[in-house]
Amino acid sequence: MTAAIRRLRWAIPYLFLVPGGLWLLIFFVVPMAVMASISLQTGSLGTGYALTWNFGIYPEAISQFATQFLRSFEYGIIVTVLTLLIGYPMAYTIAFRGGRVKNILLLLVILPFFTSFIIRTLAWKLILADQGFLLGTLKAWGLLPDGFGLIATPISVISGLVYNFLPFMVLPLYVALEKIDHRLVEAANDLYASRFQAFLRVTLPLSMPGVFAGSLLTFIPSVGDFVNATILGSRETTMIGNVIQSRFLDFNDYPRASALGFVLMAAILVMVLVYARLVGSDELTSG
Amino acid sequence: MTERRDETRIEQAIARLVAEGQISRRSFLRRASRGGLVLGSALSLPAILAACGIKPLSSSTPIAGPSGSTGGAPTPIPKAAGLLDWANWPAYIDIDEKGKYPTIQKFEKATGIKVSYTEAINDNEEFFGKIQPDLEAGNTTAYDLIVMTDWMIQKMIRFGYLERIDKSQVPNFAANADSLYVNPWYDPNNMYSLAWQSGITGIGYNPKLTKREITTFDDLLDPAFKGHVGLFSEMRDTMCMALLSIDVKPEEATVADVQKAGDKLLKAAKTGQFRSFYGNDYYDELANKNLWITIAWSGDVTQMQLYDNPDVKFVIPQSGGMRWVDNMAIPNKAAHPVDAHMMMNFWYDPANAVPLSEYIGYFSPVKGVPDMISKDADAAEAKGDKTTAAQLRVVAKTVNPTPDQLTHVFNYKRLTETEELAWNSVFEQVRTG
Amino acid sequence: MTATPVTIPLSASDAPATSYQPPLRARLSRLVLPVYTALAVAYLFLPIAVMIAFSFNNPRGRQNITWQGFTLHNYIDVWSRPDITNPMLQSLIVAVVSTILATILGTLIGLALTRYRFVGRNTTNILIFLPMATPEIIMGASLLSLWVSLGISRSLLTIIIAHVMFNISYVVVTVRARLQGFDRGLEEAAMDLGADEWTTFRKVTFPLIFPGILAAALLAFALSIDDYVITSFVAGKTITFPLWVYGVSRLGVPPEVNVLGTLIFVVAFLAIAAQVIWQRRQARRQLVPSRAP
Repeated sequence: MTAAIRRLRWAIPYLFLVPGGLWLLIFFVVPMAVMASISLQTGSLGTGYALTWNFGIYPEAISQFATQFLRSFEYGIIVTVLTLLIGYPMAYTIAFRGGRVKNILLLLVILPFFTSFIIRTLAWKLILADQGFLLGTLKAWGLLPDGFGLIATPISVISGLVYNFLPFMVLPLYVALEKIDHRLVEAANDLYASRFQAFLRVTLPLSMPGVFAGSLLTFIPSVGDFVNATILGSRETTMIGNVIQSRFLDFNDYPRASALGFVLMAAILVMVLVYARLVGSDELTSG
Repeated sequence: MTERRDETRIEQAIARLVAEGQISRRSFLRRASRGGLVLGSALSLPAILAACGIKPLSSSTPIAGPSGSTGGAPTPIPKAAGLLDWANWPAYIDIDEKGKYPTIQKFEKATGIKVSYTEAINDNEEFFGKIQPDLEAGNTTAYDLIVMTDWMIQKMIRFGYLERIDKSQVPNFAANADSLYVNPWYDPNNMYSLAWQSGITGIGYNPKLTKREITTFDDLLDPAFKGHVGLFSEMRDTMCMALLSIDVKPEEATVADVQKAGDKLLKAAKTGQFRSFYGNDYYDELANKNLWITIAWSGDVTQMQLYDNPDVKFVIPQSGGMRWVDNMAIPNKAAHPVDAHMMMNFWYDPANAVPLSEYIGYFSPVKGVPDMISKDADAAEAKGDKTTAAQLRVVAKTVNPTPDQLTHVFNYKRLTETEELAWNSVFEQVRTG
Repeated sequence: MTATPVTIPLSASDAPATSYQPPLRARLSRLVLPVYTALAVAYLFLPIAVMIAFSFNNPRGRQNITWQGFTLHNYIDVWSRPDITNPMLQSLIVAVVSTILATILGTLIGLALTRYRFVGRNTTNILIFLPMATPEIIMGASLLSLWVSLGISRSLLTIIIAHVMFNISYVVVTVRARLQGFDRGLEEAAMDLGADEWTTFRKVTFPLIFPGILAAALLAFALSIDDYVITSFVAGKTITFPLWVYGVSRLGVPPEVNVLGTLIFVVAFLAIAAQVIWQRRQARRQLVPSRAP
């Protein structure tokens, strides 16, 4: 009996995989395959679209919107680095100094995000308005020039992205930091001259899975985001997500919108693989 | 008006009778509504229709292009199904303090039709993107009545996504519609749509910040306002206002004109003249002084002056402003088209249009609404309710364009698909670089 | 409040810190991180403070963006606005159901990926990664075309299906961060002591990965309750809260929306407070016998 079960052990991972995997297969892979075929069609909404295996749309779409692609990746990298810098100390404090209220602190970090995005963003626009109570006051004190503004600049778009994706960084970081065995940290404190050195040699390397996961969860959605650039940005901050949105809804240019989407996915995939190699994570790269 | 190829001779005869008797029927209805038989029209509608042999826009009608053949087998007598699925924009209908929709309830009570009212429309393009696959596949969209802006109506007509409206089932429209909303540019003879509410696009500005009065569209390009100018992210308003500024009527614009207008905007855009391209959020930006001058909607600025920033002014530039209209329409394969017609007819009864306008305050397409609101204000004052009276007096002024506003406003152009793509490309350059 | 690690009972990390007085500089430097975190949390809550303030505003126009006087009316009026409360209810249903499903499915995949070597592991990794990298509009449109081609009408169910779909990956990645480098020795020790696999999972594995699962569930809930783009494509006639708010922002977001946001916030906050008190009590109760000789 137990021997029979042993023999079936190979099936266990598949049992774990099947429910979620099937879900993704049916509700993600199949529809995406349809979109892939749409990207190779030509035509228009009025005349109808027909599959012509138009692979030329891919290089064409890339060159047409190269600026927006590059800008999106630039913002994505900046946002990931900033959220890491802001989020790591937070996650560290919660994990190591949070005591019994760890889970509660964690909930506090995520709580603002149960509020509608529109309300949060409108609030930010109110706070950061040119004549609002923040900038207005600083201007009244003569600390800022009159023409200074934050909204509709790359700064406001990046701040918006950082704000909105910070929990995506903090949660996995916390998750990874929280499991680190304190005895290791103490041993390191005994061994190395300074706490900081101990942190660099022990805590940081041990938290790398969290850094990697957090970076993925922040970088990927921020590269593809369009909402922050729409509400907080200007013409000079148009991201590739805005282009895809507009191609899809304004132009009903479904093939090009899909093609741009797939290019974005491929580019992100490449970036992530490179990053995984750099960080030395075994995810995605090796079995 | 509708083509009926396979009509029986008797039905043709009846149709002729209807055409001849149209005026008398209309006046009957007007009398009915004036005499307090508010829903007389709706109630007696089936009887009238039966007498006239009007066929409903049945869902069995094959999908037709814009030319819309509605021919088919001998036509059945239209009958309300007793159900209506209506998609509208949020906060675009009157709500009472109990959270019910009183005017819709009035309709339900009078007709026995159960209305399923959903606020499913957030954005013309997005809603179109959502129902387009079903329309293209010939499925029902699950809606009997939708509310879309004029240019989207035109686009949907172009693709043959809308059912024809049987005018004989909406007698109140002929009787009570303001002439501004009859035979509009986007839908000649109102074959597919009837106006719901409307407004004007012009320029909003804060004289305290611009430090001068604004009169022309070119003021938007004044380098002194650099970085504090707003344009709309919606292509039509922005491009048409720019076209007017180069002396081209939008309705007559060629792609070359659009390119010229686009270049004018592009040149300014490259210097950082425009803060950004806005949807509805331009309101906040103008009210809290981030924007000094921007393209704006008339009704919004009235609101802003009253409640959020008394300094802000609205002007229709010398070159002209644009008039937009949101419309009721029936998407293809609607399951309950007769009920949808009854609803449209219902809103063209002033007795029902007034409470709607008193609540939402846009331009009403129904004649006489401002006068009736003023009367309600008098009545409220007589009862000693001064707050309500004052509010109603403000609303009465905003529910119709002033003659002055109307001299300078233009219509959008009916774009072909090729033109729309070309216009969009020009605008994409301006907007995203 | 001294830091006492919860999940690693053998550790005594802060015992020395409390038993002797470190120099002032060290004590001050110990304050840096908590103060920093407090500031960061304040930053996260800044817009929430604005939202709460404007839930008490008494705007006379359609827009709720300038302060026009204090009122409590919004808190009464909101209950007579089914057009606002119904979407909120729909959103809560979608968020709760999809979070539970996605957390279960995602955790299972996370376990499979980190604890087993099997054929197809890399493919699975990529399958997990792709939904996160897909622009939302592409995902929304592709799901819509699936439903249209199958002739299935959209409803609450199709929204939940979509939300589970895009949440699974986020759960997997978060849970995996916890499982990686997981000390299998603890499980082996439990097995050596005679526990069967299920008992080991229940008593050892699950408690150890629970913080990861909780974090993943929180993330999924936050993603679900505020999703706009994908939901708008698969919603049909169902209106969720973000759809309603987005649409109404054309005319001005009424203060009742802020009221609902505030109430959710307060309820969650009270739940947190209750949990803190409960935990304190539990801890005190446990302390008493342990001190007995």
